[in-house]
Amino acid sequence: MDRLDAELAAETSRRRFLQNAALGGAAIAAAPALAQGITQGLTDLHLPGGNAQRPMTSAFPGKGSMILQRVHPPLLETPMDVFDRDVFTPNDQFFVRWHWADIPTSIDVDAFRLTIRGHVNKPIAISLEQLMRLPRVEMAAVNQCSGNSRGLFQPRVPGAQWGNGAMGNAKWLGVRLRDVLDLAGVKAGAVQVRFGALDQPVVAGAPDFEKALDIDHARDGEVMIAFGMNGTQLPLLNGFPIRLIVPGWYSTYWVKMLNDIEVLPGPDDEYWMAKAYKIPATPGANVKPGAKDFPTVPINRMIPRSWVTSLGEGQRIAHEASIPLGGIAMGGDCGVARVDVSTDGGRHWFATKLGPDHGKYSFRRWDAQVPLPGPGKTSLMSRCWNTAGVAQPMAPIWNPGGFMRGNIETTTIVTA
Amino acid sequence: MKAPTPGMLAVGLLGVTVFTLMMVGPPGSYTPLPEPQSTGPTPSSISVNGFTMTSDTVDLPIDEQQYPDGPHADVINANCTSCHSASMAMTQPVLSADQWKATVTKMKDVYKAPVADKDIPAIVDYLTAMSAAQDGAPTGKAQDTAPGTAPDASGGTG
Repeated sequence: MDRLDAELAAETSRRRFLQNAALGGAAIAAAPALAQGITQGLTDLHLPGGNAQRPMTSAFPGKGSMILQRVHPPLLETPMDVFDRDVFTPNDQFFVRWHWADIPTSIDVDAFRLTIRGHVNKPIAISLEQLMRLPRVEMAAVNQCSGNSRGLFQPRVPGAQWGNGAMGNAKWLGVRLRDVLDLAGVKAGAVQVRFGALDQPVVAGAPDFEKALDIDHARDGEVMIAFGMNGTQLPLLNGFPIRLIVPGWYSTYWVKMLNDIEVLPGPDDEYWMAKAYKIPATPGANVKPGAKDFPTVPINRMIPRSWVTSLGEGQRIAHEASIPLGGIAMGGDCGVARVDVSTDGGRHWFATKLGPDHGKYSFRRWDAQVPLPGPGKTSLMSRCWNTAGVAQPMAPIWNPGGFMRGNIETTTIVTA
Repeated sequence: MKAPTPGMLAVGLLGVTVFTLMMVGPPGSYTPLPEPQSTGPTPSSISVNGFTMTSDTVDLPIDEQQYPDGPHADVINANCTSCHSASMAMTQPVLSADQWKATVTKMKDVYKAPVADKDIPAIVDYLTAMSAAQDGAPTGKAQDTAPGTAPDASGGTG
């Protein structure tokens, strides 16, 4: 057992004790439904059908004010107003999502090793220093949870009940995955590459969180291993010391605390690729509500989305003939070509001016001066076209996993 | 990694309860753990070509939140707070008994939660009753959860 392993083992046993300790308090007293001592006030995610109140918290390491979905293991959502300030999401308000509760809380940069093994010529374990000496790349890219906006599905579906804030955009600094694979030498016949991480299930026999990409995707020169996020090292909760960056693909592939790369001579048939994060193999991942028997494929490329961010749901403003309106858009697996907005529920649409282009995988700011109907209730909408010509549809999709929402979103304000 | 069996948990329960209450104070309160780095040496760091990485040690908040009072609250508190916060269940939309059963079964069969078969009906009953008591439930309107939709029909999560 090396030093890192020993530290991790100590951490793990300490946390497990505390978990059991917390469990021991169970029978003594019931408490309110949401953690009190670590939260400040409530926010409303406006989910259809209710149960939409969530506490705000600043109690997590490296994190400022976040929407608390779950303490253990952490699910932290970014408040929408953060996206109005900058197209880059600050590290301390970047969303957090972990599957398993056994998360290392101490990382030693000297002891850390990344292994590259499997269907390779020479299995190796490299240090962070070796990794950081490889040719560098920097890329702006949106990291969005597969289930972002799941709470908006109608009919509602089980799972983490996110609003729209399980996403963020950062400048990722790191190295090409291809260059790292070449250090070990991929053998002919490689089919996929599987990525493992330091976090572990809390119970024996449970499926360790691992994801895989096709070998050609892994070697496309865009997939990165990042050690920098918006100019500094990653917050531990966002995957320190290194995480995978899969531009244009959903966050489930962006493995945090990456420490193991395994080249496979066949497809990954383990739980997290074969069973979880599967979408209907139908156009737009859309099926009839309640449908169960349909072919599925692993979730993959993202689709265009956009949001009004300069005004919030339910906000009251003074009525004017026209107002400035702003927001963000993403193209999904390519750039943003155009964003239109409507202030009358989609009857009339107006062009917006796009902000600076930070690359095809980045958020893009949009702004417009738009006429207001009313006074009264006003439905604001934005619609993004990506550079492949794909536009956001008006109608929402449905699938039982609550994945890949991408329809035109509505922000309802009141003018008086 | 060794799984805590219900038996092991039961043995540790009493003594640990007393210690927990002393340590954490009233339910819902939060006591930060001692800062491990405060007594140790300066964290090590690596600098290469103008970028520096520094060793990091953090403390994650401990969730003392229990499931609210109700029939079988003791069973769900004993079974369903170790792997995840109670909020994971408490933030769900209104789900049917079948949907909750599918979820609890998935926790046991897929995620290997050490839940005894005999406890499953009580857990499902608790969750179904809690769900039905939510604001807005049941409505019979469009926002109702799809009838008969198993949560893992697409493998779930995200």
